[in-house]
Amino acid sequence: MAVVSVKDLRKRYRAGDPWAVDGVTFELEAGEAFGLLGPNGAGKTSVVKMIAGLIHPDVGSISLFGSHPGNPAARAQLGFAPEDPDFPKFLRASEILDYFASLLGLDEAERKRRIPETLAFAGLDAERRQIRQFSKGMKQRLGIAQAILGRPKLLILDEPTADLDPLGRRDVRALIERLKQSGVAILLNSHLLSEVELVCDTVAIMGKGRVLKEGTMEEVVPEGRNLEDVFVELFQAASPKRDQLPSFIDEGQSR
Amino acid sequence: MNGTAAVARYTLLELSRRRVLLVFFLVGSLGIVGLGVGLRILYSLFESNPNGGFNPVTNQFVELQFVSLIRSALGTFGLLIAYGIGMTAIYHDLDSGAATSIFSKPVSRFAFSVGKILAGVAALVVIVGLLAVEARLVMLLFGGGYEDAITEEVLATVANTLVVMLIVLALSTWMNNIVAAVVAFVYYNVITGVMTLLHSFVNSNLIENGVARAVIDVAYWLFPHPLTSSIPAALVRAQVQAGGQSGQSSGPAAAVLQGSGPGDIAWWAFVMVFFAAVVYYSVRRRQV
Ligand SMILES: Nc1ncnc2c1ncn2[C@@H]1O[C@H](COP(=O)(O)OP(=O)(O)O)[C@@H](O)[C@H]1O
Ligand SMILES: [Mg+2]
Repeated sequence: MAVVSVKDLRKRYRAGDPWAVDGVTFELEAGEAFGLLGPNGAGKTSVVKMIAGLIHPDVGSISLFGSHPGNPAARAQLGFAPEDPDFPKFLRASEILDYFASLLGLDEAERKRRIPETLAFAGLDAERRQIRQFSKGMKQRLGIAQAILGRPKLLILDEPTADLDPLGRRDVRALIERLKQSGVAILLNSHLLSEVELVCDTVAIMGKGRVLKEGTMEEVVPEGRNLEDVFVELFQAASPKRDQLPSFIDEGQSR
Repeated sequence: MNGTAAVARYTLLELSRRRVLLVFFLVGSLGIVGLGVGLRILYSLFESNPNGGFNPVTNQFVELQFVSLIRSALGTFGLLIAYGIGMTAIYHDLDSGAATSIFSKPVSRFAFSVGKILAGVAALVVIVGLLAVEARLVMLLFGGGYEDAITEEVLATVANTLVVMLIVLALSTWMNNIVAAVVAFVYYNVITGVMTLLHSFVNSNLIENGVARAVIDVAYWLFPHPLTSSIPAALVRAQVQAGGQSGQSSGPAAAVLQGSGPGDIAWWAFVMVFFAAVVYYSVRRRQV
């Protein structure tokens, strides 16, 4: 059985708005790393938020471990690292993890074991300040840490490395590889294409709410090309003026 | 319920770190001590005045003045704290995006709402309760006789501030928390104030027109209104007595300000449940 399967998913935030997600269908098996790509506003975040039960689709169905995402039990094996994560701002990192471990139903012994290790993985073990004093990158690390705390069978990472330094990025890549080997399904949202190329087995490229191209990495990226070429080709046709700079950029050098 | 205890526990921890609540609490407790000691000193001066002389009515009167001042101090700080909790307990999570991480966990929105409400109620009861205990201790400075009245007053204050907190909490899941506070303030402190006053006129037969009475009665029971203790009535009675008039003439005035009855208390319980349900309903619908 697929870990997650979405069928003809549609979502718009307001009546009259264009569809943010316009008929997306895919399935994810255990141990598979799936990359969801696309330019800003393509609808990637909306798709994963529907899978995590955070927003409701207008049309279509989602099966998460054979159940509905609105069902808390279905989310017990889901790890979700949101884009731009944030946390209760008067708590410390260790307290956040203890809070979330309780929500995950981990017992005292398990919490004692997992939390220090998770904090160490995130490089936050020595951090005593409250979240309100965290940088974006620190919050992103904590966002990934809280997502793996429950040892999920499906890990969703929404732009996980956007605010990370190169070392942090390498750690996330290693994490994905390890989890994949142990049978965890990964759903990675990203526009860092080289990164996706390194870790994902299958990809779907979204634009304006629709999947424009999908398949295994070999199917999507022809020999001798890379993902970036494919991506740029796909979207350059749609927005030919993308390369034009504002006219004032070249003005006023003498002033 | 899975997660309720964790949500409540960490919400309380957060509230305990909020400086604004600490400031309200400190200012409130200093104010109550200051009031008590100040009035006691004034009272001593009055007592030692050879012209004034001592009589039991004045003693009672001063204590009632104190009770009345405490009443407004408790009410004011209780409200400030209720707003402080109501505006932040859920709103911050929804607004910051913390809810995104929390709601993706295996916790139901129901368990989350219950945990938040429990934490808010507990925090408010503890803070206002501490202020009340302090007020009760300060009352030892005086002769006594109104201890029951202040207990009743504290219960009424806690009950009223709880309703305000829940209203703000519920509104803050629909709108910006500052707007929520303003709406709750206008509603609870202006509209219900006028309605309660009109209703007391009806009760004491100051309004005789049958239609007006019916309309006011319906409006009074349609909207949440504050509970009141019997202190205002007692105060009027004592003032009238201190003024040397016969006890008879205090009747109508005291009747205007009678304390809440069982009907009001049942209505209060209903209002609490209603707004708790609104909190849950909007948290459940909320897309984060
Ligand atoms: N909360 C929201 N309210 C209204 N529109 C939204 C909201 N979130 C996203 N959108 C819109 O939905 C579309 C897809 O957004 P999103 O899923 O965030 O894309 P991506 O993650 O691919 O950048 C965009 O047009 C965006 O403006
Ligand atoms: Mg996004």
